[in-house]
Amino acid sequence: METKIVSKRFHIPESYKLEVAKKHGVYGSLEKLFTMTPDEVITAVEKSNLRGKGGGGASCGQKWRYMPLNDPRPAYLIVNADESEPGTFKDREVMDKDPHLLIEGIICSSYAMNIHTAYIYIRGEYKWLADRLNTAIDEAYEAGIIGETLMNGACDFKLDIVVHRGAGAYICGEKSALIESLEGKRGHPRLKPHQKECEWYFGDPATVNNVETIASVPEIVEFGYEAYTKHGTPKSPGTMLFALSGPVKNPGVYELAFGHKMIDVINTLGGGMKDGKKLKAVIPGGVSCPILTADEVNKAVLDYESMWDIGSTLGTGGMVIIDEDACMVEVAKNIIEFYHHESCGQCTPCREGTGWIDTILHKVIHQQGKLSDIDNISDVCGTLNGKTICVFAPAVADIIGSIVVKFRDEFETYILNNQGAEHE
Amino acid sequence: MSNIVNIVIDGKEVEAEKGAVLIDYLFKQDIDIPHFCYHPALGTDGNCRMCMVEIEGSKRPQISCDTPVKEGMVVRTQGENIEQVRRDILELELINHPVDCPTCDQAGECKLQDYYMAGGFYESRLEAESKVKAKKAVDLGKNVMLDQERCVLCTRCTRFTDEITHTNELGIFSRADHSVISTFPGQELESDYSMNIVDLCPVGALTSKDFRFNQRVWFLESFEAICSGCSKGCSIHVDHKKEKYKDDQIFRFRPREDHDVNGYFICDDGRLSYKDENDNRLNDASINQETVSTKEALTNIADVLTANPNDTLLLVSPFLSNEELALIKEYTLNNGTTLSGYSPQYYDESFADDMLRTSDRSPNRAGMMALRINENEKDFNELLSQKKVIVVIENSYFEDKAELFKDKKVILFSSKDTKVKEFANTVLPVASFLEKDGSYTNSESVTQHIKSGIRKNAPVGTLTSLWKAIESLSKEKA
Ligand SMILES: Cc1cc2nc3c(=O)[nH]c(=O)nc-3n(C[C@H](O)[C@H](O)[C@H](O)COP(=O)(O)O)c2cc1C
Ligand code: SF4
Ligand code: SF4
Ligand code: SF4
Ligand code: FES
Repeated sequence: METKIVSKRFHIPESYKLEVAKKHGVYGSLEKLFTMTPDEVITAVEKSNLRGKGGGGASCGQKWRYMPLNDPRPAYLIVNADESEPGTFKDREVMDKDPHLLIEGIICSSYAMNIHTAYIYIRGEYKWLADRLNTAIDEAYEAGIIGETLMNGACDFKLDIVVHRGAGAYICGEKSALIESLEGKRGHPRLKPHQKECEWYFGDPATVNNVETIASVPEIVEFGYEAYTKHGTPKSPGTMLFALSGPVKNPGVYELAFGHKMIDVINTLGGGMKDGKKLKAVIPGGVSCPILTADEVNKAVLDYESMWDIGSTLGTGGMVIIDEDACMVEVAKNIIEFYHHESCGQCTPCREGTGWIDTILHKVIHQQGKLSDIDNISDVCGTLNGKTICVFAPAVADIIGSIVVKFRDEFETYILNNQGAEHE
Repeated sequence: MSNIVNIVIDGKEVEAEKGAVLIDYLFKQDIDIPHFCYHPALGTDGNCRMCMVEIEGSKRPQISCDTPVKEGMVVRTQGENIEQVRRDILELELINHPVDCPTCDQAGECKLQDYYMAGGFYESRLEAESKVKAKKAVDLGKNVMLDQERCVLCTRCTRFTDEITHTNELGIFSRADHSVISTFPGQELESDYSMNIVDLCPVGALTSKDFRFNQRVWFLESFEAICSGCSKGCSIHVDHKKEKYKDDQIFRFRPREDHDVNGYFICDDGRLSYKDENDNRLNDASINQETVSTKEALTNIADVLTANPNDTLLLVSPFLSNEELALIKEYTLNNGTTLSGYSPQYYDESFADDMLRTSDRSPNRAGMMALRINENEKDFNELLSQKKVIVVIENSYFEDKAELFKDKKVILFSSKDTKVKEFANTVLPVASFLEKDGSYTNSESVTQHIKSGIRKNAPVGTLTSLWKAIESLSKEKA
């Protein structure tokens, strides 16, 4: 069932070491890369229809085209390794098991966009992974893979890679907040530009890409976009790392071509539900996408278009599995606590709305709920949607709003019974 | 002309400048779009989300502070949909706000209070006890107090210290609804322009230590004037009040937007200089230290002047208006007295900065120079040694130099109480800078007019009226 492109070396012991990874083909794309022009590399990525794995799913090649050509300013690649969304834990597998693949991807991408400095912005809590990356980067410098030239002079192209640790804020995964943070400021998302353009780091052009996106590039360079588009569906070609968590027998990260049925993945790779429990719901895409009921899960297909068709999104490819024992009021409370804690606090609706929902659910759980609270939550979700600087607030509206609508009965029962039927 | 485009606002076709910020254009049209974070001096930040409008073709409401004007744009600022959106956002804004307007110093000039009243929110859906509590009355240092609970986190104050003064004392701490404004650890507000954040703050979170709880703003009257703190002559609003049975008193200066002079701001020293107007005033006329009536003093002065015109030096100052200086100059030309504007004591290099403040702490030296009034030191010293009668008019030069008056007859016109009066033969109080009308020319040759709104119970005469009285008394004698 799995299609291993990014995860092809994950099973090899000590694959994070340069000598081991090299034996198994890392940096194999570079010989081909140096025969291509930068424009040819971008074209290949465009034609592969590689889509951003950080949650947005935008075309990677098209995004690279926003970098200004023949610009005198230095340009930057910023790899987004902030991975802080609950239910999302795939980038860490790449950095843990195959950091040299990420470096290889950075080389290909930097070459394509004429970038000589790449940053890896990694979440503060991933200390051991920052260490692992730094060790790998040191190995790469020492082996002459990066530095003043690439591959010991095989290509006259200077490239430096710098790891920067965040201070532990989920919002710093949002690309413009990430750049603010990298500039030494408070991680506040910036207003969206009025036209499509690249990002700006200290006023210089920059591209932000997710770890997995960058790690997918070497395959496309080495074997061509045709090989990549053989996998998946016509509109969602290639593969994605899917992270399964919750009460399944085999939680973990699995690389799949797009187009598999969600329920098959849960039952096959996930090994089915633990202890013979019934599946109640799945939150796809980390926890920021509308929840799916068991019925919807049976219909869900893991590609961007199919997920939109059933009213949710693929997000980061995480799947949080929820079984019949879980109380949805508590699920909602658990999730809103996270968002309440992590809102950057700039926009009035998000700053105050996340806290208000949290307060209402706190009341409900402490036996002070009223039936009108359910509609109040829905109302606040309405105010969170589409009225803020970044999509954090709409994501809260998506997940909390969908739980309240799809499990309204359970909220009503919970409130009326004071303690909730399903609650022990 | 290509810059002008046609747009529709609330059904009305209007012309607007292409690319202008929509909210600025709405202000110009007197459409009061609710807003906290946008300020023309600080630009767009887009955080409060209050300034939403509907734009035809956009799925969602858009913030007008981040919308450039485009040809053919159809904008709706009113209507059920958009008003509901604003109400919803305002409701969230109020969740953690104390809404204790009766005890808030900002009441009467608070945006939140205005919008709250207009929106008709008297009943919140969230009980008060669940509000996030924050600190009241935090001393931020120089002249400013912060009430964190009242803050709407519009970041105007932090943007001011970051982008205008570049002193960076303020930041936002913590996240979500626990976010608060504060100075960085170990820092205090120290910029000479700190108090502008009090005006910038749309609510009662930042207050002036000097003004807070002194007056309810709705009792204050106001007139337009300039600051006399230095030769920049910043445009200000003078807020004053005449309580029954009490005298008219000035309570504060506020900056007045003026793009020829000071832009949006003024310095703290200038702002607090209103006290000089109230304090330390000279009240009584006197002759040889004996209190006399104004009439007696005037007659005495007229006598002295007519008796010794060729032996008289008139010392004026750059605190006088163009009209007053012209009057005195004309008198000199007609009567053969001599005139000087010597006033080195107003220079202070340490006061100047690269924002507004200049090194000349007087408001009208440019006007005095335009009238060719001599302020040369050598000439002055020569005249001083020659002339027997010295008439000092609103000039503090002799404050610590009274020994120079030996063997002189001294006439003093002053609005301030001064030691000089002990050495003067005749003393006459005059109206202060803000108690009279007049025009002043600043260091950049901009001339501004003041029309005073002060009404004293027992007004002191203006220099102009007193001088004219002296002139007519002199004529009677002749
Ligand atoms: C609240 C929020 C958090 C995000 N966190 C992450 C993250 O941790 N990692 C990530 O790669 N992208 C994250 N994103 C998406 C980024 O803004 C950005 O779209 C992405 O890094 C672009 O890379 P891609 O095109 O390769 O996916 C987040 C977005 C939002 C709104
Ligand atoms: S939506 Fe929330 S997280 Fe995003 S910028 Fe606004 S306040 Fe910050
Ligand atoms: S203190 Fe005032 S100016 Fe500063 S952020 Fe709060 S409301 Fe805005
Ligand atoms: S800069 Fe000068 S004129 Fe302006 S407020 Fe300050 S002292 Fe007054
Ligand atoms: S004024 Fe436009 S968002 Fe605050």
